[in-house]
Amino acid sequence: MSEQPIIDVRGVWKRFGTVEVLRGIDLAIRKSEVACIIGPSGSGKSTLLRCIAFLEAYSEGEIYIEGELLGYMLDGGKRIPASDSEVARVRRNVGFVFQQFNLWPHMTALENVAAPLRLARGIPREDAAGRARRMLEKVGLAHRAEAYPSQLSGGQQQRVGIARALAMEPHIMLFDEPTSALDPELVGEVLQVMRDLASEGMTMVVVTHEMGFAAQVADKVLFIDHGKIAAAGSPHEVFRRDENPRLRQFLQNYFDRNVFWQNAGEAGIG
Amino acid sequence: MSFNPAILTDNWAAILDGMVLTIVIWAAGTVIGLAVGLLVAIGQLFTNRWVAAPLTLYVAVMRGTPFLIQLFVIYYGGPFFGLDLSPLTAGIAGLGFYGGGYFAEIFRAGFLSVPPGQIEAARMMGMSRFQIIRHVQLPQMLVIILPALANMTVLLSKETAVLSVITVNELTSVIQSIGSTTFAFAETLLFLAVVYWAFLEIVTAAARRLEKRVGRFTLRGQH
Amino acid sequence: MFDTAIIIKSLPMLLGASVWTVIYSLTSVAIGFCIGTLICAMGLSRSGVGRAVAAFYVSFFRGVPLLVQLLISYYCLPLIGLNVPSSVAAVGTLALCTGAYLAEILRGGFLGIPPGLIEAARMVGLSRAQILTRIEVPLAVRLTLPALVNETTMMVKASSLISVVGVLELTRLAQNIATSTFQPLEIYLTAGAIYFVINGAITFLASLLERSFRVEKAA
Repeated sequence: MSEQPIIDVRGVWKRFGTVEVLRGIDLAIRKSEVACIIGPSGSGKSTLLRCIAFLEAYSEGEIYIEGELLGYMLDGGKRIPASDSEVARVRRNVGFVFQQFNLWPHMTALENVAAPLRLARGIPREDAAGRARRMLEKVGLAHRAEAYPSQLSGGQQQRVGIARALAMEPHIMLFDEPTSALDPELVGEVLQVMRDLASEGMTMVVVTHEMGFAAQVADKVLFIDHGKIAAAGSPHEVFRRDENPRLRQFLQNYFDRNVFWQNAGEAGIG
Repeated sequence: MSFNPAILTDNWAAILDGMVLTIVIWAAGTVIGLAVGLLVAIGQLFTNRWVAAPLTLYVAVMRGTPFLIQLFVIYYGGPFFGLDLSPLTAGIAGLGFYGGGYFAEIFRAGFLSVPPGQIEAARMMGMSRFQIIRHVQLPQMLVIILPALANMTVLLSKETAVLSVITVNELTSVIQSIGSTTFAFAETLLFLAVVYWAFLEIVTAAARRLEKRVGRFTLRGQH
Repeated sequence: MFDTAIIIKSLPMLLGASVWTVIYSLTSVAIGFCIGTLICAMGLSRSGVGRAVAAFYVSFFRGVPLLVQLLISYYCLPLIGLNVPSSVAAVGTLALCTGAYLAEILRGGFLGIPPGLIEAARMVGLSRAQILTRIEVPLAVRLTLPALVNETTMMVKASSLISVVGVLELTRLAQNIATSTFQPLEIYLTAGAIYFVINGAITFLASLLERSFRVEKAA
């Protein structure tokens, strides 16, 4: 039973018109696994994550969430688009954290977390508020519950975004570059929340540029290039075994930039 | 040229009735227009193209043809479809559907002004299409489109005068008939202009105040 | 039964009358543009009187229904001894009214012109009037073209109201045919379609003009 992957991506292609963004992705994530997806911009890594959430409809292949086909129904071997409510049902246990947070600006932090509980789950107002408060506590923001998103720093907004997703008690959390829109000094607080979540056994798929996070936390690192998984394995395997020239180049660029900033910091210009 | 204000005071009861009817027509037309506009915009954006295409044509026709012609079609053409409407009913319906075309464009722009990421977030949280419209899109866009809605509502109040052409007894019609029976055109028509002008100024000022209050309310949320 | 024969029969007459609709509305927009420019310049001037007059003008002509303005010019001009043909009075009224709207549109355009461009014109020795007509107006028109086109289509529609004061144009002729044939639906739908096509054509021509402006920008 534990052998069945909680996310099962089989031969997925995604086309925008004539552009092939994903070209045959196979990927299996097991319960409590943390997978980090890395790759150059435009490689298709965010598109893959959005397909796993069915924010994008994939063109070919199948994605199973906890054993259920996502986004389509099989009708005598033919694939037909599933209804909105069916999609919502299959992905009810999937939480998504956006690069741009996507908090609703007309609601307080607490309402951002509580409103979906009321609306989508029909939880009574009091209970929803209570659960929302516990979730904000979990991400260290209980004291900011009444603040509007615009009154919060980027890091705080993203933590509210995580609390909002966690409140639905998901089995899977998807993170789409959760720290890319943040000022460097705010990245740490968000990564810490994610680390805690991983240590609690949450199944996580994280699209990220934070190689340090990937190296420390991930069970599995996937390098995506030109719409294909070009390298995959444990962080140790992927970061050390760099016979793939594209991966070597990608990692080289990344480390060069960081070494530059490290040196710049020591020289007092950073 | 003589100027005899008594002509107005002698007919004050009829004039007052005309004013009241003008405001009733305006209010009813605005309510219908807002409802039609919202439904049309939702139909254009959130259904399939077989619904959206006719609605888009409807908006284009309402905005591309004279209100007077639209009134004629409803009032004189109505009996063709078995719709024998009174001038007042035809006028209010006409004003509502005319305004609906413009309101629809405003609502549509409003829906499109809400960043798509916020709608994706709501979808990921399992909210239904209707819940997303009601709880995520409408509250945000109303603040943004309020000036445009207020502006259109003010414009509609002026269009009520056109209803006099299909013999609705609103203010312009009342004043015109007083003018043509007494030949006191200067007194009556200048009075009419001043009444509309004052009314428009008051309504516009009220709309500005409302915008400011709502603007202050959203300052809390937006920046 | 919906009678297509009456439409085909009356179409040539309606199209003929629509020429007057186009002439009246475009003439009033052209005159209104001059009025609007003047009012706009007054509104942006340093003179307090000029600004007050401009504000009063815009407020009045935008605050009173066009139909009421038309009735005033129709019934009251003769009272002060001005016996002009009703079509002239009507076009004049349309022009005064659209002038108020155009003034507001142009105001946005004038304020959108980078001040450096005006300073450059002043430094090369252009007069105040030259700066207005050669620099500011052309730039303001380019900046506000969509709004100006929209106002033009509004005037095509608004010109239907001059039928009420007895000027023969598309709406008036449609009324005449409708009452004599007792087939109002067919006739008014046809008239509406003609207005729709006129405004469609104006919007299309404007898009060509806008494209030529874009070429300018690229060059």
